Amino acid sequence: MGLQTQSYGIQGMLKEGHKHLSGLDEAVIKNIDACKQLSTITRTSLGPNGMNKMVINHLDKLFVTSDTATIVNELEVQHPAAKLLVLAGKAQQEEIGDGANLVVSFAGELLQSAEELIRMGLHPSDIIIGYTKAINKLVEILEGLVEEGSNIMDVRNKDEVILRMRAPVASKQYGQEDILCPLIADACIQVCPKNPTNFNVDNVRVAKLLGGGLHNCTTVRGMVLKGDTVGSVKRIEKAKVVVIAGGVDTTATETKGTVLIHSAEQLENYAKTEEAKVEELIKAVADSGAKVIVSGAAVGEMALHFCERYKLMVLKIGSKFELRRFCRTTGAVALLKLGSVVNPDDLGYVDSISVEEIGGSRVTVVRNEQGGNSVTTVLLRASTDSILDDLERAVDDGVNTYKALCRDSRIVPGAAATEIELARKLKEFSFTETGLDQYAIAKFAESFEMIPKTLAENAGLNAMEIISSLYAEHSAGNIKVGIDLEGGACKDVSTLKIWDLFVTKFHALKYAADAVCTVLRVDQIIMSKPAGGPGRRDQPAGMDNED
Amino acid sequence: MSVRVLNPNAEVLNKSAALHMNINAAKGLQDVLKSNLGPKGTIKMLVGGAGDIKLTKDGNTLLKEMQIQNPTAIMIARTAVAQDDTSGDGTTSTVIFIGELMKQAERCIDEGMHPRVVVDGFEIAKRATLEFLEKFKTPVVMGDGPDKEMLKMVARTTLRTKLYEALADQLTDIVVNSVLCIRKPEEPIDLFMVEIMHMRHKFDVDTRLVEGLVLDHGSRHPDMKRRAENCHILTCNVSLEYEKSEINAGFFYSNAEQREAMVAAERRSVDERVRKIIALKNKVCNGTEDNFVVINQKGIDPPSLDLLAKAGIVALRRAKRRNMERLVLACGGEAVNSVDDLTADCLGWAGLVYEHVLGEEKYTFVENVKHPNSCTILIKGPNDHTIAQIKDAVRDGLRAVKNTIEDEAVVRGAGAFEVAARQHLVNVVKKTVKGRAQLGVQAFADALLIVPKTLAENSGLDTQDVIISLTGEHDNGNVVGLNQHTGDPIDPEMEGIFDNYAVKRQLINSGPVIASQLLLVDEVIRAGRNMRKPT
Repeated sequence: MGLQTQSYGIQGMLKEGHKHLSGLDEAVIKNIDACKQLSTITRTSLGPNGMNKMVINHLDKLFVTSDTATIVNELEVQHPAAKLLVLAGKAQQEEIGDGANLVVSFAGELLQSAEELIRMGLHPSDIIIGYTKAINKLVEILEGLVEEGSNIMDVRNKDEVILRMRAPVASKQYGQEDILCPLIADACIQVCPKNPTNFNVDNVRVAKLLGGGLHNCTTVRGMVLKGDTVGSVKRIEKAKVVVIAGGVDTTATETKGTVLIHSAEQLENYAKTEEAKVEELIKAVADSGAKVIVSGAAVGEMALHFCERYKLMVLKIGSKFELRRFCRTTGAVALLKLGSVVNPDDLGYVDSISVEEIGGSRVTVVRNEQGGNSVTTVLLRASTDSILDDLERAVDDGVNTYKALCRDSRIVPGAAATEIELARKLKEFSFTETGLDQYAIAKFAESFEMIPKTLAENAGLNAMEIISSLYAEHSAGNIKVGIDLEGGACKDVSTLKIWDLFVTKFHALKYAADAVCTVLRVDQIIMSKPAGGPGRRDQPAGMDNED
Repeated sequence: MSVRVLNPNAEVLNKSAALHMNINAAKGLQDVLKSNLGPKGTIKMLVGGAGDIKLTKDGNTLLKEMQIQNPTAIMIARTAVAQDDTSGDGTTSTVIFIGELMKQAERCIDEGMHPRVVVDGFEIAKRATLEFLEKFKTPVVMGDGPDKEMLKMVARTTLRTKLYEALADQLTDIVVNSVLCIRKPEEPIDLFMVEIMHMRHKFDVDTRLVEGLVLDHGSRHPDMKRRAENCHILTCNVSLEYEKSEINAGFFYSNAEQREAMVAAERRSVDERVRKIIALKNKVCNGTEDNFVVINQKGIDPPSLDLLAKAGIVALRRAKRRNMERLVLACGGEAVNSVDDLTADCLGWAGLVYEHVLGEEKYTFVENVKHPNSCTILIKGPNDHTIAQIKDAVRDGLRAVKNTIEDEAVVRGAGAFEVAARQHLVNVVKKTVKGRAQLGVQAFADALLIVPKTLAENSGLDTQDVIISLTGEHDNGNVVGLNQHTGDPIDPEMEGIFDNYAVKRQLINSGPVIASQLLLVDEVIRAGRNMRKPT
């Protein structure tokens, strides 16, 4: 390229391969379009009757799920504006652990409304002002919709927990929530610490085992470790446990050591002193009353031999985090290495450790019925890996909901009752505004109709009929009326027992509105040339990401 | 042509072609940045090579990330970066001002003027404007207790051009308080003492000021306390891990007992150091509920961590060097490099030390310190691009506050200065200049108007109307700026819109210099190895 040919404007100034999009048509409308595409993908998965997606990621791993967080994560969205929506969804997933679909779908709907407004001639900045006003008003309205008396709850009351957990779990595993919810609730309540706000999601583990069916799912108070024990002792009850973070073996120096031997006699003696040393260590463990040694690293042959001799069970847990959880389960203090004296205070206790064979794989089940801030495992059984994965995601959502309700237990009516009420109230609010932003607020209100509409559509109901009857009920003052998807009619949610958590709704709406405003604020995009590196493999033909 | 004779491969642009290339590049860059100016400016989205998103309104960030290749544009961009380095704000203004100077100059040159004459005019106008600025600025007295309201107004003016209003207003307090927190009388302000930390968590409006420190790592031992109150803090730079000898050493032993002895010996020196720390802990915390926290710049290996944990000490390893300095400022005490003569005087104090876990990341908060001379701005946001945007804004906000304290002066904003300076140039200075340089002065004066013009344009107002009403008010002797919402003139003093003196000074200084340089170019030669492939 010669100097003369340098074109006027920005294009000539950037490196080759840059793309520059600017202006209303080129940037804003296109961005909106991309986001709409994304939300059309996710919205069919909204609600209990949502469809599953089959996503194959770049590693050829297959996902069959209706969990939006997973879908958008594996889609590897490239478009920068759509990515903003994905990020909002992820933020919701990280913060609450549920409601990602609401974020993405609702943001898409808001953008669609924004597009209509832009076509009407409104400037994006007016729309942003309107949307910001709307979201601030919404927060007020939403607080007003909170079910009375729901702010105080006993987080250890199983029924109340299930009540709040049903909706999120049902939206992932419809029809199975009655089996899953009690399991999750049990698991959560068992590990709930004295101060519920300190509830740690990490303490509810999920073990997935192929085979069996949903009805075989159980919770185990303690841990389920994949794999066998090291030694020959396979079952032990009411035993003390010593946990060694390092390996169970002879000690070694950091600096390389060399054995200095002058004669054959010394060689023989050396082996003997080694043996004596190891025996001394193992004996110390046995003397302390421990019956089980849990090692974080390799167990030496010689050490194993002595363990067998002293009838000690040996368990190896490779992962540092898993070992830490094991310590929490048993109340043991991890020792760095085997010493000649084992302090009895450092020992943990288990009710039983046994190797069981479930569905063809050997697992070590560690049970500890004593309470405290220990670990509980939900044992999932299903016929295929992808179902297991999907069940796991449902359990994760349930556990995250528990965490959220430990912090804020307020609930709002579910089954689209809240959305319709928000739409109605917001519409009223828009009439009181005088500026151009009232159109944006009104559109914001209308966007809420997307949720009942999608719920109804996904369930195969007549969406328009449902929405109009919902509006009719709500204007009559029955603000808790939502959609009964099974009956195909409108019913009071308090009879249906469908409640959503306030925090989930609150965060989802806020993240969605934030993302939408960000997308609308952008009027220029400067894209640099995609970096090199290994090219992404082409997806097999016919495997479209959109179903 | 002579260069062609010397090097047949060289590319040459001469005379007017060179001039126009420069002018076009300046105008092009101006076009790009124009829409960013002011609180109503729009955001640009930058997509990096790896698909990463960056949203920005900040001229400096934009110029850095855009990977400009045009040589003229690079020169202008550098001036803008220099503007950022010295004053921390006004990059966008610099670029559009230079662009406008070139545009005005082009008009004169097209009418047959020699660039040199225009440049002379610029020079005169520049000096006159700087003198005018001295008179125009509003002095602020910065005694022992700076005028907080004034600082807030300056910070708000800067922040509102980078972020949306609600967030900007919140950050204003944070920024002003943090600068006042680290400020020491009689000493220059070191903004490095304000740690900027970010967490991907909650919403952007949850950003807050922590009077103390936030470290982005946690203790590495499961048995250490997650939350400790009334803490003595030992800041040290002592290796608490076994280090292999530099030379190739080996152990020789002939039985297991000897080996055990070797193992013990290896650890002895490290254990010794740990024991000294524990001894100090026992001394200061003896019989009280107080806690002891060790923050070490070097490593602490698992056996040492274990010993410390057993003694009830919370230990953090591998703290950042800059945090060591800040820790001492925040908590008091001193950073020790050896544990040989530890005394209670070396210890700092914090009311609360706790760990916050976010997914995989751990953060340690050191709060409730007694006399904080260092603080942390904890930025929160739901995603990385929001955090990056706030971070850039906070940086600029801090600089704005610092500049105000150091300049002891501010300049009325919202375009008021530009319009006033223009009127001064046209009505007073121009009449004192003789000859054709007058036109240069006129061009400079008109170029100044680009700032209020662009502000009006970005707010969707009519540019001409605005300029006329503003100049009219100034002619009547009222200093007014532009109300972005209505387009009416306002008094910036009443609205609390103040710009930094340093920013304006730098702007007036550097803009004409680079514009003059570019105008005086009469030949552009590209010779030597061509880096770009021919297309």
